[in-house]
Amino acid sequence: MKNVYTRYKRELLVLAAAAILCVVFTVINPRFMTWGNFLTVFQQMVLNGLLAVGIMFAILTGGIDLSIGCTFAIVGIAVASACVAGINPFVAIVIGLAIGALLGCFNGFLVNNLKLQPFIATLGTMSLYRGIAYVVTGGVPVTNVPASFRSIFNGQFPGGIRYYVVVMVAVFIIAHIILSKTRTGDYLYSVGGNEEAAKLSGVNTKKTKYIAYIASGVCTAVAGMVMLASLGSAEATAGTGYETDAIAAAAIGGTSMAGGRGTAFGTFCGALLLAILKVGMVVISVDSFWQYVVTGLIIVVASYFEFAKDDFAAFMARFKRS
Amino acid sequence: MKKRTFALALALTMALSLTACGSNPAASNPGSNPGSSPSSNPGSASTPQDAGEFNPDVAQDAMTIEELRAANGTEVAVPADAELAVVMKSLSNEFWRTLEEGYQQAASDAGITIEVDATTSENDEILQQTMTENFTTGGKTALMLSPISDSNLTSAVESAKAAGVLTVNVNDGLIAQANHYVGPNAAQNGELAAAWLSEKLGDQGEVAIVIGMPKAFAARQRTAGFKQWIADNNSGLVVVEEQNADWDRNQAKTIAANWIQNHPNLKGIFCNNDTMALGVVEAVKEAGADILVVGVDGIGEAYESIRNGGLSATIDSFPFYMGQIATEVTLRSLNGETIPSVVQTPQALIDSTNVDMDAAEIINWVPPIYTAG
Repeated sequence: MKNVYTRYKRELLVLAAAAILCVVFTVINPRFMTWGNFLTVFQQMVLNGLLAVGIMFAILTGGIDLSIGCTFAIVGIAVASACVAGINPFVAIVIGLAIGALLGCFNGFLVNNLKLQPFIATLGTMSLYRGIAYVVTGGVPVTNVPASFRSIFNGQFPGGIRYYVVVMVAVFIIAHIILSKTRTGDYLYSVGGNEEAAKLSGVNTKKTKYIAYIASGVCTAVAGMVMLASLGSAEATAGTGYETDAIAAAAIGGTSMAGGRGTAFGTFCGALLLAILKVGMVVISVDSFWQYVVTGLIIVVASYFEFAKDDFAAFMARFKRS
Repeated sequence: MKKRTFALALALTMALSLTACGSNPAASNPGSNPGSSPSSNPGSASTPQDAGEFNPDVAQDAMTIEELRAANGTEVAVPADAELAVVMKSLSNEFWRTLEEGYQQAASDAGITIEVDATTSENDEILQQTMTENFTTGGKTALMLSPISDSNLTSAVESAKAAGVLTVNVNDGLIAQANHYVGPNAAQNGELAAAWLSEKLGDQGEVAIVIGMPKAFAARQRTAGFKQWIADNNSGLVVVEEQNADWDRNQAKTIAANWIQNHPNLKGIFCNNDTMALGVVEAVKEAGADILVVGVDGIGEAYESIRNGGLSATIDSFPFYMGQIATEVTLRSLNGETIPSVVQTPQALIDSTNVDMDAAEIINWVPPIYTAG
């Protein structure tokens, strides 16, 4: 038990914060603590959770993937078009995953082979991919996605749990296993922690970073398909700005922006916290303008704890001196 | 150390974009409506604007294009030296594309060319300013402008006017300094939506509003007009919720799903644009609820959804005709005709009863008669 506590201290802190938020929301409006609302929270966290676990892979290596919102749109459009054209929905899913992997792979190419800084490389592909989405669709949304595709993600278990919630949990579990049980996971952390040292100790850093960006693309592709199933249409503007929420979820969950530290469970907790916040503020009818303020404060405070936990003593010492 | 700095820069970028981004301030429209009384409703439109701020909704001299033609004659002489140009928002948005088609239709009717510049995103305020200044120095005689915000073209318009260039503000955002404003009555689309919901619901029941973060005048007025109509008419409709969904379909769906659970008696949802309304329709379908959903914009997908029994109604402000009216007003003004400060363009509610009607028929459109000047 003690082991669990020390190992997941950060995550438990976030969960505690989430629990406090839940209590506050429930006191203000008891409707918050209902099964239906519970389901809403999990549905709300699915897209951001999938995007966050994807971008976490890139962040772990000391990079970033700003293009996820745009990859998200392209995958949605491609899969929607494929389904509308009558392609078998399961084949369409494979196509979607392949496109996500391909776009992620291109990011990996820019970072690895052209040695671009990840921020700049994916800032470029962010615009590039969004442009492709516009060019392909001409700005017109793809609609009438058949139910045969939508029900694969959008269907419900008894009790109202949507399939896509289970899909998200599965993706998190896979990510957790990769990061904590496989050699690839060790490599990802070591590349982010100290790339030179990793290289010297024989880690194929190039391959590791390719894996990170491809993982980011694939997780994003899953998110794009969930969105498509949920809304029944795809448009070029989809996912605009979603990368910021994904970064926020990863950061709140304890992923270090400098790389080398973070867990799938932590990112899950971060996305859950943001979803509770978003849904809770709707339930208790917080004025929309204030929602931005509250969300921003939560992110800042959570990040402060991340920093503080790190070297709290040193920080306090410096603080006192100044 | 380097990494720390990078991480900090990243965190800052993130924090900034969280407050600033996410919106896609859709098309915007508002206006005068052919179905009911065609001119302005000064009593009902003024809600959120401070006194002294430019508000075309309450302009005393506002006219419709029909009234203008009746006053000034139906024929429009096209000045031989007319050099028209347009600056507008992103052509990736269907609304602005259609507006551009309207301009081009007018150009071909009048036998002139109209040069159109649009920004790629709906966030590039400075580029719009540059475009406007370039047209001014490039010798255009009149500019038709749809600024991104209510302030980004202010100085460009002042220099255009100083150079003797006619400026016409089309749709939104607003330019108080422009010679004329051509566009729909912004508050009225909210009023049309409220009136329609009231009629369908027997003037009672709970309703809710999905708003988009307002950047420009028209978007603010939609919500204001909706609420004002309820207040002015002592309507039995009660607004129980009002939330921002950032013009995003998925966010709108989440919010609506929440409301449906929390308000079992919710009967109607008004959305500030069609994209969000289409997200709400999905939430209503999933919940199996019986809720009327009304959007704004009249995009193609909204029409399709109305035909398929999804969306209940949308308010269309007919950008194709707005572009033609703006061009006609501009040419008339170049001729020295007396033109009011505000010319209102048509707007109508589209539901299953008129979704397949020709737009020209809905608004009783009569094309202008152009003659060589």
